[in-house]
Parts: sequence; structure tokens; C-alpha cells
Amino acid sequence: MQDTINKNGLNKIAYYPGCSLNSTAIDFNISLKKLLDILDIGYIEIDDWNCCGTTPAQNVSSELVYTLSARNLILAKKMGIQEILCPCVSCYNKLYKAAYYINTASKLKNKKEEQMRDTIIANLKDMGFNVEEELNFKVYSVIEFLYLKKKIIGEKYNEINAGRENLPANRVLLEKLKPVCYYGCALLRPDSALRFDDFEKPTSMEEILEEAGIVCKNFQFKTECCGAILSLTHKNAVLKLSNMILDSALESDANCLVVFCPLCQQNLDLRQDQINKLYKKNYHLPVFYITQLLGIALGLTPRSVMLDRLFVSPEFIKND
Amino acid sequence: MNTGLKQKKAGAKMDEFYSSIQRDILKYIDPGIINCYQCGKCTAGCPLSDIFEYKPNQIMMLVQAGRIESIINSNSIFLCLSCEICSSRCPQDVHIAKIMQYIRNEAWKVDKIKVASIKRFYKLFLKEVGITGRSYEPGLIAGLNLISGKLLNDMDIAVKILGKRKINLIPEFVKDRKGISRIVKKYL
Repeated sequence: MQDTINKNGLNKIAYYPGCSLNSTAIDFNISLKKLLDILDIGYIEIDDWNCCGTTPAQNVSSELVYTLSARNLILAKKMGIQEILCPCVSCYNKLYKAAYYINTASKLKNKKEEQMRDTIIANLKDMGFNVEEELNFKVYSVIEFLYLKKKIIGEKYNEINAGRENLPANRVLLEKLKPVCYYGCALLRPDSALRFDDFEKPTSMEEILEEAGIVCKNFQFKTECCGAILSLTHKNAVLKLSNMILDSALESDANCLVVFCPLCQQNLDLRQDQINKLYKKNYHLPVFYITQLLGIALGLTPRSVMLDRLFVSPEFIKND
Repeated sequence: MNTGLKQKKAGAKMDEFYSSIQRDILKYIDPGIINCYQCGKCTAGCPLSDIFEYKPNQIMMLVQAGRIESIINSNSIFLCLSCEICSSRCPQDVHIAKIMQYIRNEAWKVDKIKVASIKRFYKLFLKEVGITGRSYEPGLIAGLNLISGKLLNDMDIAVKILGKRKINLIPEFVKDRKGISRIVKKYL
């Protein structure tokens, strides 16, 4: 990571929001952008980006999903940037793998992988892109990116506490928080990320939040799968898995969850009522994006990080 | 040519297709699959093994035995979420999820998709991406409900999303989307 990526410098990171962050995860999108602003990190949205293809494209054809994802990488390069920040975990996995296939320096393992690269390149040419130059993409997930920047987060937090105090409403919320960090399944698995954290017992989220004065509870279900996109075809399977996650959070004596995946957030927050109904439970656990909580800790108003758009309202925490 | 002979020929072609999948797995996708000794850790960790017709460890054995057709005719590979807990925990470093992903892609090539709802969903999703260049959730949910005849499925959720203004009522279009349409059509 170049340290020169900052607001005033020439270097910026390319931002690939993905489809979810423009609709059901708009709160993630806005709170992340605001957080980057406070941290003085320059970013620029990839012009004319397209859907990465996500699970449907991946399961139908790997060639299709990596072609769709690679188009976004090439568009970033057209803007002169090869470092890409990709908040949605599903998009991140696809873009990360696409970069593996098309990067010039990648050491592909066998004939099948070489065929894959050739097909992706041919498809990109078919879409009218020039892919002759050297390609050297680096794709970051939000957690990995924030982890690299955690020192700056700590500095900003100290600045706020040393000078003026955080907003009263924020202080109350932060004091009452008893969060657990839920990583979900997709970020740390062998085939996806570069394993910057342990895949069974990750701690990077807790370490980032600690920099901003937020202490998290221990949690058994950190990396269990929530059921993801199966919610559209096999809803009960998803409700069952998500129920176990919420149950485990309660066992940890938590009063909320922190996540960074739009799909996990949807299954745990939006579908919490459905889970309550099906399993006769009485959960009331707000599911925050990590960027929202960091924003609050660094002095942003609850409205500006869109806490009001969560389905399970965090208001009760304050009144507890 | 009589129909019996035709069927025989088609059958032989499919047999060759299935055995080529096994060959490719052994040679390229994960030669390490021969090391699977059926400890069952993959199945113990799998979030969906209770609804899989074949559990992950059984699938590994079926691949070893060359019974790819049985795998494709079961629901497991189509329901798999690719959470990869199986691969992560395998003591023999077999990449179970990658092997299942490969078989799944091959099954789509010959249009053998056991789980009808998944087939409908993926096709609708990719058609949308082909048209607009992006995915559009309201269209997706409405479309799925129309096709499946369950018009009121997830209505509670739709109402909530609208209430929180978390959805665009008009789909977003990628400007340069002709190429995307062409590529999506090529694979669908």
C-alpha cells in the first residue's frame, strides 16, 4: 500500500461500490465515504462500473464472472489507478480473483488457469478494451484497508477526545454498546483473500474498533455462514443459520452486531422479524456496519452515517 | 439411424463428458483429492449438509470413484454457498469447494441443473445484468415471485425496504453496456 494515497496527494484509490451499495446497503456506502473523508483518504468512483456478476455468474460460469469483474479493473486502469477498494465482500472476492488471473506478474498454476486468463483477455478485447499494457491490480476489502489505516483511526480518535468532546448523543450510544464482530464466511477463506487474518478466530475488526475506543465481546459464531444469497430461493435455510448467529450473540451478552458485508447485514437485520416469528424469539439486536460505528466514534452524527436506515433501531441501546 | 442407436450414441457422449470432468479434477482442479481419507470434517462444518442429498465427504468419494453423474443429479452442488469452510478445515488440504464449483460450472454447460428455483433465479439475474449492466433487486424479487407464483413471498420485507427508502425505483444503466450484453448472452 502506498502511503501517498491521501486527499491532497495525487494518488487516490479507485472505489468500486457494487450494486448493493447503491440500494439496500446505501448506509454502508455513505458511511464509508464519510469515514474516508475524515481519515483524509482520497478515493474516486470507477466510472461506468458494472455488476461483478456475483454468485449467479460464478456458479453458471467462472469465465463469465471474472470477465464481468475484470471489466471494472480495466476501467480503473483507464483512470490511471490500479489499487481498488471494494466494500462488498462478494464483489471483493470476484474482483480479487479476476486480478489474480489477469495481472501480468501472476504465476498461474496450470493449463486450465492459463486458458481462463486467455478467455478473460479475449472477452475484454471483444468488449473493446485495450489490455496490452502491464497489469498490476491490487484489490482491497474494507477490513483489510481499515486495518492498514488503523493508526490513523487511533490518531483521529485521540484528537477528538483531546480537543472537543464527541457529540453527547454519540457518547451515550458508545458507552452503552456491547458489540460482537461478525465477519461472515467469505472474506477469510483460503481461495478468497490473502489470509491477512486467522480464518477461524479473526481479530482484525476488534483491533480496528479498539483504536476508536470500542471494546467488543468475544463471539463463537464469528465466521459461520449466514446463508447469503440463498435467502431468495431457500429462505428457511437462511433463517435457520441466521438464527444461530443471533442466538450466539445473545449468549455472548452482546446488545448489537458489527458487520461489513451487505448480504450478512440484510439477512441479520432486515430478516430479524422473520426469524423472530419462525423461531418464536424476541431478538432486538441492531446490526451496524463497522463504518457507521467508526464514524460515530470519530464525531459524525448518527443521521449522517444513516443509523436511521437500519431496520432494527439502535435507539433502545441509548435508553437501556 | 434407429432411435435406439441414437440414444446409445448420446449416452456414450454423456459418459465421455462425465469422465472428462473427473479427469480434469484429478489433473488440474485439485490433484490432491486422492488424499481424502473420509474424516468428515468438511461435512461437520458445512452449514447446509443437512439439506444436501450428498454430503461434501460423500461427494469427494463419488469423484474418486468416477461417479460424476450421481453428483450432478443431486441437489448438493447447486445449493452450495461457496463459504469454503470445508476447504479451510480439510486436514489433507483438499479444495472441496473448488471441486464442487468446477462440477457446477460443467453442469451448467449441458443445462443439467437439478434445483429448478436456483436455475430460474440465476437466469433472471443474469438477464437483468445483460440488459442494464447492473443488478436490480426490485425487478429480481418481483420477477421471481411472478415465475414461482408466490406473489406475496417476502412482501413484509419489500414493505420494509420501501419504508426505509433503501431501493431505487428506477434501475441504473451502465452507459457502455453493449459489450456486457454480448458476453452475458455468450454464457447463458
